[in-house]
Amino acid sequence: MAGIGDRISGTFFLVLGLTMYLFVNPNYIESVNGGNISPNTFPNILSIIIAVCGTMLLFKPTTQQAPDLRSVAITSMYVLLLVVGLYAMSKFGFEYVAPVLAFVIMIAIGERRLHWLLLGIVGMPVLIWLLVTIVLGRALP
Amino acid sequence: MVELDTILAGFADAFTLYNLSFVLFGVVLGQFVGAVPGIGPIMAMAIAIPFTFGLDTLPAIAFLVGVNKGGLVGGAVPAILMNTPGTPDAAATALDGYPLAKQGKPLKATKMALFSSITGDTVSDIVLITVSAPLAILALKMGPIEIVALMIFAFSVLAGLIGNSLIKGIIAAALGLLVACVGQDPEHFTPRLIFGHWDLFNGLPLPSVAIGMLAISEMLRRMSMAHGNKVSSAIINLDTGNPNDQRVTWSEYWSCRFTLIRGATIGTILGALPGIGSTAAAFMSYAMAKGTSKEPASFGKGNIQGIAASESANSAVVGANLIPLLTLGIPGSVGAALIISAFMIHGLQPGPLLFTNQGQLVYGLFGAMLMANFINLWVGQIGLRFWVKVVSAPESIIFSSAILLCIVGVSMATSGIFGVAIMLIFAAIGYVMSSFGYSLVIFIIAFFLGPRFEKSISQSLALTNGDLAQILKSPVAVALLILSVISFVWFMRKNNQVNKADA
Repeated sequence: MAGIGDRISGTFFLVLGLTMYLFVNPNYIESVNGGNISPNTFPNILSIIIAVCGTMLLFKPTTQQAPDLRSVAITSMYVLLLVVGLYAMSKFGFEYVAPVLAFVIMIAIGERRLHWLLLGIVGMPVLIWLLVTIVLGRALP
Repeated sequence: MVELDTILAGFADAFTLYNLSFVLFGVVLGQFVGAVPGIGPIMAMAIAIPFTFGLDTLPAIAFLVGVNKGGLVGGAVPAILMNTPGTPDAAATALDGYPLAKQGKPLKATKMALFSSITGDTVSDIVLITVSAPLAILALKMGPIEIVALMIFAFSVLAGLIGNSLIKGIIAAALGLLVACVGQDPEHFTPRLIFGHWDLFNGLPLPSVAIGMLAISEMLRRMSMAHGNKVSSAIINLDTGNPNDQRVTWSEYWSCRFTLIRGATIGTILGALPGIGSTAAAFMSYAMAKGTSKEPASFGKGNIQGIAASESANSAVVGANLIPLLTLGIPGSVGAALIISAFMIHGLQPGPLLFTNQGQLVYGLFGAMLMANFINLWVGQIGLRFWVKVVSAPESIIFSSAILLCIVGVSMATSGIFGVAIMLIFAAIGYVMSSFGYSLVIFIIAFFLGPRFEKSISQSLALTNGDLAQILKSPVAVALLILSVISFVWFMRKNNQVNKADA
């Protein structure tokens, strides 16, 4: 259905703009007396612009389609994978998690050739370790 | 005006072996990633920025410029050999490059692309070097009121030109400015929208936002497209046995001189304007070359004039993109926005004062850009045969490696996992925004300009004592605001016409 994408995103930005203006900005921005421009003035103006433009998009959408649900689901899976990988990195360190993360990503993409898998799982993490810790003298996450 | 000794000292800095080696490294890396479909110079620049922290400013920025310039040359390789442009800019190159490759002349096509790219790039760099200092002097006469008006004008043009909807462009710009509000407010220095996370007190880290939005979100998109499919290798026969099929003769190059000059002119003019970009320049130059040709029917069938037109134009945009960046501090493209972030990370504020305060650095950058063109030519001549092999590298190794590099790079830039978490959040936001047709370019540029925009508004209000009628005393500001309204109305009408035609 043409325009459904804009109706979805328009609704989202209408809600986002109103939420920012009515709830987030008043509660998470300190009010200050005096000065030329209050800390909440600029965010409030922007929130209103977002809400107004979201409304305009809701009622006057372009032909933008909604994204393909399968692609969104696959992307969400990759995002989840990265979140888990990042959490594991914070617990165990880059050296141990990076090869596993690279392996899972490559397998998920569909790579089955051993030489490419070895390069991704062993070669690249070792190269990054050499570059960061030996050449640049910095710590890995 | 910048003194001659400052200019010469700047050029001398650029020509040191140390700085040239970083330009060389940047060009090699740029050509490499440009040749890989799906990575491109912008993503490579975003990934490379954190790794330049330990460097001095000139080699760091010269390296990034090298990546950008090399990427445009490399981007033509998959366009010509596989009909899959490595960068969007190279799409017009594929129109004649791919048919020429199919005729058994892939090296002739890639070399013509290389020579055209270098020609366009060099012309625009010379224009940049010539006009930027006088423009900066003019820009110095602008006060905060004019700066605010200029930024409003830039946003109105960017929002209208990029994407298919002005409203969506405005939303992307407003969202970028809103995200830039996180941290301290520029006047009172009170915490704002940090939600108790004191790591955010200095604002959202630039590398996290830029890499998340530009690199990871695009990789997520391509990974979902490649999911479950092993990417097949491209097999290209380079040697047909005829030496003339492997080179571009001087007479062939010279026959394209008018096309090259026209392409370089189009690229330079469009590159100096914010938002239009190299893809539009390439297609415009291609269309004009075809329109003025005596043999328009030969275009699209392997005419080297087509390659010359598109490559000279898209490469000329790179140098010209730096004109608004260095003179006004306003990036006209994502590439320029990334360079501005590199300037800011190294403690420099791009804009007209840069010529006064850091003249030697600016001319060092100009020298490095000129040298990058020669190095691009040299590396391209040697490397083309190798880059042809690079196009067959599978996406699985490219994306897994690039993700690890992004994680490490952002972790180094932000001193920890918190910055990487922010990168992932903005990767998801970037993916969703681009899926719904919102421009990430406008978002990023607005995010970069946000603090300066708000500060200029605050200064303007201080200067006028809150009396907005005082703006009328500045003819430049009034003219820019009128232009903003005109462009807003014009783009609105244009969008309506396009939408009616689509419906």
